[in-house]
Formats: sequence, structure tokens, C-alpha cells
Amino acid sequence: MMQDVKIDSYQFLVLVILFTIGTSILVIPSDLAADAKQDAWIAAIIGTAIGLLVVWLYCTLAKWFPHLTIVQMNEKVFGKWIGKAISLLFVMMAFIYTASLLYYSGTFLNTHAMPNTPMVAINILMAGTVVMGVRLGLEVIARSAEILILVFFVLFLFLVIFIAPEIKFENIQPVFEVGPIRLLKSSYFYVSVSSINAVVLLMIFPNITNKAKQAKTSFFMGNLVGGIVIILLTFLCVAVIGAEKTARELYPGYELAKKINIGDFIQRIEAIMGTLWIITLFFKLSLYFYASVFGLAQILNLKDYRPLTLPLGMIAIALSLVMYPNIIFQQQWDETTGSSITIVVGLITPILIVIVYAMKKKFKKKSS
Amino acid sequence: MVKSLGIVLIAALILWIEVPTLLKKKQKKELIIFSIFLAFGVTLCIMLGFGIAIPNPLEFLTFIFKPLNELKSRFLK
Repeated sequence: MMQDVKIDSYQFLVLVILFTIGTSILVIPSDLAADAKQDAWIAAIIGTAIGLLVVWLYCTLAKWFPHLTIVQMNEKVFGKWIGKAISLLFVMMAFIYTASLLYYSGTFLNTHAMPNTPMVAINILMAGTVVMGVRLGLEVIARSAEILILVFFVLFLFLVIFIAPEIKFENIQPVFEVGPIRLLKSSYFYVSVSSINAVVLLMIFPNITNKAKQAKTSFFMGNLVGGIVIILLTFLCVAVIGAEKTARELYPGYELAKKINIGDFIQRIEAIMGTLWIITLFFKLSLYFYASVFGLAQILNLKDYRPLTLPLGMIAIALSLVMYPNIIFQQQWDETTGSSITIVVGLITPILIVIVYAMKKKFKKKSS
Repeated sequence: MVKSLGIVLIAALILWIEVPTLLKKKQKKELIIFSIFLAFGVTLCIMLGFGIAIPNPLEFLTFIFKPLNELKSRFLK
């Protein structure tokens, strides 16, 4: 099938970094600060550590079933029909998140960049680009990621360096005021959004060439680097604009960029933050969409996933306009049902695969 | 009205992009599934264009996942 598309482990590393940062760069600092207050950055560190554990689970699965996507793993371990049913849940999750990210990008651009444009138009543009990328194939997406990640890091470094003079260390004190349990609990949403959602990356894992250790290292490194970016950004948000403001704002990273003021000359360059975020969002969106289209094609035993892209893209746009009646609903839903679905698809199912497969192997050993 | 025409136009465009390739390769299964999804998508979009409220699948999912949600929120408070 489409397994003949090959990406190398560096491209996978880049994709994992962009996926991990994803939407977290814009919304996670707010969520962390609401729970952990000025220790939000410590919660981010804990979240990154837990995320690495989750990635370890996925690498174990990839090691046991080389050359199989997670949809194929489901079929192999649970049998044809139950496997397909579980994979359908996976595809549904990936597709819902596709529409969800379209909503995120549409709302952000609508509020901050083009308020008079109807969100439909913005979503069509974004979805159109994603559909085009997925149709052109994984290689194309990976190569664009290689280029755009350089843009990302240059801009991110720019942001960090120029906001650094504004750090007020009183804002992060008292350190460790909230207890460790509270910190653990507040990191939950971040782990779920950045690391457990990374289960969709198991759809592209079989496409990596130099297998064995390098691909796994890429997965870990990617998650780690992405995590460091989030930790850094959360720290800067709390240190520069304070914990309460961070928790209150919808997009604290954007507020952060507004503070950059170099010699009263370079000011209000928050559009740069917007660019950063569009880049990571685009790739996360592409990966979700690729996972849903490719997964659906594997469930239905199609020879090619490309015919599905345009119709599903259309449905995704429609869904993105309908799913969240308002932003309060979106925040509420994402944190409750959204992360429940993530846990079922991204944590419970892989753990089940591990358990069932281990039991099957033991059973075979006993009978032979 | 205009919106529905626009959507039908886009659907025609999509058909023009996809169907010749599928017919040439004789991929009947893909063609059928493609048509089903396209029909679904077009129907959805036209309904949206007319302002007919579509039942939100997220609310349905919230209903299904309610027990897990409550379990989770108990753990996280």
C-alpha cells in the first residue's frame, strides 16, 4: 500500500517535535498556570517526563510489530472484526482532532488576524492546504517539515532572547508552593495533548527507513525537544507576565510576544508568535488528517488513501464549524471528553495490545 | 441558495479531480466509498449552508464517555 513511502529518522524527529509542540505552545501555559500557578513550568517538566514514558510504550509496540501501523496491529492482536472496530475508534479520534485543530486555527486567525473574514473561509484555506499536503504524500510533508522547523527555531530563539530582559524572578516565587501531587495532576492535560495523542504517529512509524535504534531515539528526542520548548515557554510566560495573567489569557504565548520591545523600535511583533504557531499547528493537523485517512483506508482494505482525502476534508471543515458552539464549550469538552477519548485510544488500547499479545505468546509457548 | 450552488460546484470539481483516475485504474471499491463520503460531505455542507442545525457528534460522545469523565475528574481534583 502506501508503505513504500519512506522517510528517514531525522524527518521523523522533526515531525515528532512539531507534533509535540503542536497546539500546546499556545494554550498549554494557560492551562498549567491555572492549576499549578507560578509552578506551571515545573508541571511542564513533570509532564515532559511522563510523556517520555508514554513514548516508551509506543516504541515497545513498534518494536514488537515492525512494519505494522497501529491499525494493522489492532487487527493482528484482536482479530479481524474487533480489531477493525477498535481501529475505527482510533480513526474517529484522529478525525475529531483534525476538525478540532481546524477550529483552533480558525478561531485564532479570526480573532487576532482577520476578524471580518468568516471562519468558513479561513478553515477552507487551512484545510485545503492540509488536504493538498496529505494527497502529495508523507514524503512531501516530511520535507516541508524539515525546512519549516528551521524557521520555527529561528523565530522561537528570537522570541526567547528578546523577551528575556523582561523576566521578573519574583513572578515564579514562591517556588514549589503547590505540592508535588497538585503538580502531577495539573500536568495531565499537557501529557494527554502532546504525548498520548502521539499515538497517531504510530501510523507513520513503519515508514521510517533506518529502523532499529535510530527511529526509537528519534521518537524520544522529538518528544523531549518539544517538551523543552513548552517548558521554556511556560517559564517565560509565568516569569514575564505573571501566573494569574497567564492563567486568565486564552493565548498567553501571544501576550508574551506583545511584550517584546527593543529600543522602542521593534514592538508588537506578536505576528511572529502567530507564525510559529501556524507552523506547528499545520503539521499536527496534517499528521492527524493523514492518520485518519490512512487508517480508514487500511480498515476498509483500500489500495490507496488518496481518493478519501477530498471528501473527508470537506466533512472535517463542516465538523469544525459545528462541533464547538462556543469557546467555553471547546475548553470544557477538550479537557473532559476529549482527553477521555485520548486516554482510551492512546493509552488503554496500546496497553491492551501489550497484554493480549503477551498472553497469546505465553499460551503458544505452553501448548508447544 | 447561492451557498448550495457553490457547494455543488465544489463537489463537481472534486468529482472531476478524482473520478477519471479511479475509473482508469478500475478501482471500483474506492470509487464507491469515495462517492459515499462525498455525498455525506456535500449533504452536511448544504445543510450547514441552509442553517439547519446538525446534531453535534461531540455531545453524543460526551454522553458515552460520561462515566470515564467523572472517574477522571475525581482523580484530578
